Amino acid sequence: MLRRRNLLTTLLIILPWALLLTLWHQYPATRYLILLRKETDENATAKAHFNGTSPLREEGLPSCSWQQASGVAQKVIQNYVYSRPPPWSDTLPTIFVITPTYTRPVQKAELTRLANTFLHVQNLHWVVVEDSPRRTNLVSNLLEKAGLNFTHLNVESPQSLKMGGSWIPSHKPRGTLQRNLGLHWLRDSFNNTRPPEGVVYFADDDNTYSLELFEEMRYTRRVSVWPVAFAGGLRYESPIVSPAGKVVGWKVVFDPNRPFAIDMAGFAVSIRLILERPQATFKLEGVKGGYQESSLLKDLVTMDGLEPKAAHCTKVLVWHTRTERPMLGNEGKQGFSDLRMEV
Amino acid sequence: MKSLLLSRFLLLLPWGLIVILLLDTDSSRAPPAPPARPPQQAGPRRPALPPIYAITPTYSRPVQKAELTRLANTFRQVARLHWVLVEDAARRSELVSRFVARAGLPCTHLHVPTPRRYKRPGLPRATEQRNAGLAWLRQRHQHLPPPQPGVLFFADDDNTYSLELFEEMRTTRKVSVWPVGLVGGRRYERPVVENGKVVGWYTGWRADRPFAIDMAGFAVSLQVILSNPKAVFKRRGSQPGMQESDFLNQITTVEELEPKANNCTKVLVWHTRTEKKRPLLSKAGFAHLQSLLPGVWPVRRKQGKNRVLLNTVFYH
Repeated sequence: MLRRRNLLTTLLIILPWALLLTLWHQYPATRYLILLRKETDENATAKAHFNGTSPLREEGLPSCSWQQASGVAQKVIQNYVYSRPPPWSDTLPTIFVITPTYTRPVQKAELTRLANTFLHVQNLHWVVVEDSPRRTNLVSNLLEKAGLNFTHLNVESPQSLKMGGSWIPSHKPRGTLQRNLGLHWLRDSFNNTRPPEGVVYFADDDNTYSLELFEEMRYTRRVSVWPVAFAGGLRYESPIVSPAGKVVGWKVVFDPNRPFAIDMAGFAVSIRLILERPQATFKLEGVKGGYQESSLLKDLVTMDGLEPKAAHCTKVLVWHTRTERPMLGNEGKQGFSDLRMEV
Repeated sequence: MKSLLLSRFLLLLPWGLIVILLLDTDSSRAPPAPPARPPQQAGPRRPALPPIYAITPTYSRPVQKAELTRLANTFRQVARLHWVLVEDAARRSELVSRFVARAGLPCTHLHVPTPRRYKRPGLPRATEQRNAGLAWLRQRHQHLPPPQPGVLFFADDDNTYSLELFEEMRTTRKVSVWPVGLVGGRRYERPVVENGKVVGWYTGWRADRPFAIDMAGFAVSLQVILSNPKAVFKRRGSQPGMQESDFLNQITTVEELEPKANNCTKVLVWHTRTEKKRPLLSKAGFAHLQSLLPGVWPVRRKQGKNRVLLNTVFYH
């Protein structure tokens, strides 16, 4: 009788502290929704921010409500105030996004809108790997101005593998060397003895990412997967998830016999796993189109180790969009427009 | 006695802290700014920034949600931006309605269908939708006294906007212009500026137009729109490519234009276009491909070679 009473009292003492800790952990997550106003001269490009209440309410404008995807408490947040990017949190796992890119007319536009998306995501580190002999000024300046945490690397692919080389694509996979360099940088930068909490995601520069996606992948323990729209010639490709929550197959039409029939944008790997398996890279030799993802994943995980995200793979949070090559016929053979103007 | 008080205090302490935390988050009070930030300007109320109204016509196709998503991701970074989404549809679609509800920025969802006779290739598109956006703005401000602050611009859902552009356009007094990338058959199109005034147009297509500029290359102050209630995008008598000129002719002259983006020497917006998505596995898809690659697409080949080319096609 006395023992049970002691147990009860201990429980009652521990309970409020546990509650307090969970709430405290949540509290910093809402902290990033604060914007600070910076004032500059009249003519200078003013980076506008807000403080306190949103003037929208003064005008009586109805503002669309936004549900915080990651928070446990679903708050309807009426004031949208952003710092660019949100302040770094010491408790949230980091998302390392590896983006291979190459020079072509739409490159700056693609990287700009990608940066505009990434500026919303807390604790994101962007690893941009150029397919070029030297780091270009265009990308360097863009990365500096964007304000994101970034690492700028470059490695040139040999002619046969060049990204965007011929209009009839070689059936060797593209971006491989660049992604491998990104992985190599990660392994160099982080010690296996004390791996950081985080996840690696391969984001091509022409895809479209919703903000929800990053919160889904953040807490990956090994390898997580989700559907991708417009991949494999379908409206979307998706893993097949059993009622028990395990990935049991692939809902694809293009070569369903691939060990991992998934697009590059459809999975994320935890940093710990990357550091544990230093030999896991994307393979070049003997890899046909469509098998690049499998060449990496087979060294990292088996199908039953996959974690399905996006509500058991029922929501599409990333789209494999592609941008049209712009018609630049009026440039002529020598080029017409002033090359000093960066596009 | 003392130990009893102490134990009581320790018991109540965590509960008290929890209550304080809950109260704090509920009232969503701003936590004090960390000292590392640059010094903020003092004063509780500063003059509000002029709002920016982005009028975006949109229509249903597979990539619609993706386009709207990445556009929203950009617009949400801009303070005081009000998004006016106008669907080319007879009624509000579920996809866009759901999207608007979770967009994360103030938006207005309108819809107006384009009459079928205007849906032919070569005719200007999205005219009715842009006019609906203008009508909504006019109606909303009709009883308010001039001058009304604000700027509006026409944001097509597949273009790419840098964040700098919005700060450039915010200071528009009447009509401002800037370069647009990847349009007019060239790397960029831009107004030619001398001594801070627009004197001509640098473009690869029909430079003889009065305003040889793309829809993404200008912004109009709200007051100018309200002062010219009859200024709309025309259908009757308009030629393709003249939409912008016909509209701007009604509200301003070339001399009045304000060049932005460092005297129109920086490209801050790109006329990107997204590839149409069509599944490649249908017979029609194969036939289409055959027409694109004459001589390359094998007519009769071994099964193995066909599969290789199929893989290639998928990953183009």
